[in-house]
Amino acid sequence: MPSLIDLHQISKVYGSDNTEVKALWDVSLTIDQGDYCSIMGPSGSGKSTAMNVIGCLDRPTGGQYFFDGQDVAQLDDDTLAAIRNRKIGFVFQQFHLLPQLSALDNVALPMVYGGVAAAERRERATMALQRVGLGNRLTNKPSQLSGGQQQRVAIARAIVNRPLLLLADEPTGALDTTTTAEVMTIFEELNQGGITVVMVTHEPAVARLTKRVVWFRDGQVVNAHMQPEDVSYGALVE
Amino acid sequence: MDFRESLTMAVKTLTASKLRSGLTMLGIIIGNASVISMVGLGEGGRHYINEQLQSLGPNILFIVPGNRETRRLGGLEISRNLVLADANAIAEQVPSVIDVAAENTTPGLLSFLNRNANASVIGTNPAFITVRNFTIGQGRFITDLDLQRTSAVAVLGNSLAERLFEDQVPLGQSLRINNIAFEVVGVLELQGSNLGVNYDDAVIIPITTQASRIVGRTSPYGIEVSFISATARNADSMQTAEFQITNLLRLRHGIVNVEEDDFFIQNQDTLLSIADTITSALTLMLAAIASISLLVGGIGIMNIMLVSVRERTQEIGLRKAVGASQNDILIQFLIEAIILSAVGGAMGTFLGVSGISLLSLLTPFEASASISAIVVAVGVSGSIGLFFGVIPARQAAKLDPIVALRSI
Repeated sequence: MPSLIDLHQISKVYGSDNTEVKALWDVSLTIDQGDYCSIMGPSGSGKSTAMNVIGCLDRPTGGQYFFDGQDVAQLDDDTLAAIRNRKIGFVFQQFHLLPQLSALDNVALPMVYGGVAAAERRERATMALQRVGLGNRLTNKPSQLSGGQQQRVAIARAIVNRPLLLLADEPTGALDTTTTAEVMTIFEELNQGGITVVMVTHEPAVARLTKRVVWFRDGQVVNAHMQPEDVSYGALVE
Repeated sequence: MDFRESLTMAVKTLTASKLRSGLTMLGIIIGNASVISMVGLGEGGRHYINEQLQSLGPNILFIVPGNRETRRLGGLEISRNLVLADANAIAEQVPSVIDVAAENTTPGLLSFLNRNANASVIGTNPAFITVRNFTIGQGRFITDLDLQRTSAVAVLGNSLAERLFEDQVPLGQSLRINNIAFEVVGVLELQGSNLGVNYDDAVIIPITTQASRIVGRTSPYGIEVSFISATARNADSMQTAEFQITNLLRLRHGIVNVEEDDFFIQNQDTLLSIADTITSALTLMLAAIASISLLVGGIGIMNIMLVSVRERTQEIGLRKAVGASQNDILIQFLIEAIILSAVGGAMGTFLGVSGISLLSLLTPFEASASISAIVVAVGVSGSIGLFFGVIPARQAAKLDPIVALRSI
């Protein structure tokens, strides 16, 4: 079975000769279909850059990236947009819901760009919201929802196009312990349903709920197969 | 993503942020309304003046004392060298002229019983009523016999009659002008003011009576007049009439050089062209003011468009993250800008046109909305709205989604 994510000597360099900053350097990493993995590392270790490259939000400066068997490293803007639309769902720390749209419309947004008909959009968005336990909040605007509820709307939006990969950037960073547990339960269920889940996190407690930890430091992978139990609570205070 | 989807999305966005949409449109509305009403006002003024001049009739000639030089000096020393005999000579000797009226205006104090009024006292001859195309409402106008006898008879302007006599019948009453008793023999119909002279508020008496009883002096050449008006036989004989009158008056006044002319002749065309020069300047000035307001409005539109696109960079980033192409973003912002410009333009036009209509109701100006002003105003504000709504959105759409998302 081919890997879903296959990074080959990926580098991401900002700036030019003198002021060069190597955000990623010679990173090779594979993540299989159905995996549930966390990306960890100290601040500035390149984990967020890696996540942007994995999510096709950013293009690497060098190397090859096979996503779902396709080399996506140097595709143009609109092709990447189409891949993100069909195969990747995003959950961000700051939720990034559109304030002017209802929960239902927010969730339906990726389907609008995916060319799904209006009736089907409504049906699938409703199902996605029910799936995250917000079946009774369809018409609420983001401002009328709590942080945990907003993040669940964002998760519904991420899964509504039935992606291969759910990519979460500090999904619990803005949430309290109770809602963090709720969100992690949803992730686990989604993973059991077959979706590959990759998340960047700072919290060892959250990382311990995943199957595998990828450890970054100074723009490189230092441990690609760390056991979640081995993540100590003081690990990030290096 | 097809057009209908984009349209729905744009409408949803605009209605969701009512304050922002409202403010953006306000700039467009004010810009449009001010341009349309300013230009309409200018056009209305021009139309008003032209109408006044045209109401004089196409065949009328005015013979005014003085020459262009002395007139230009502000009329401080306007020579009074036209006399009643000149008017009579024109009437008798110029074949291309039908009627000739001489007019001399003096201020007067009128009294009837205990009521007083200041009014213009116009001394004239019977031809006045046909030359000026006025109609008599009650009684009769002054006659040649009145002039011969220097009878103390008066014809009242309509408003003046109402003011002095209220509900009494003015005919046959004795009216005192500068303390001399006159008999009211007629009342004019309402004429409306004409080039600043309000004949409704004047009293008309025989010019001979005016000279002997009111003015009390005559020049060595006869009874002085303010100006002479004459009607030509028809529009074609205007030039002939002007030529013949000029020759006759030069002969009578002993003028050898053209430069020494002590009178000049105006017709509707020359008056129209003078008025046109003035009103064109007026319209130009109003258009300049309107352009400034359009510019200010445009800057307002530009600012709010720039700010609103800037603050929506995150939204653009998110839309791209979930699969919007650059075109999807561009089309959405284009449609939003079109809606704002179109609705704002329509509302501004409506406001401007209603302002003009209100003005025509309340003032004698028949102001009208000019199509070209509407087109220019809506066009300019619309293009500013489109340009500054779309160009920054285009730049934001080109950003990597993650950069756009991270921007605050």
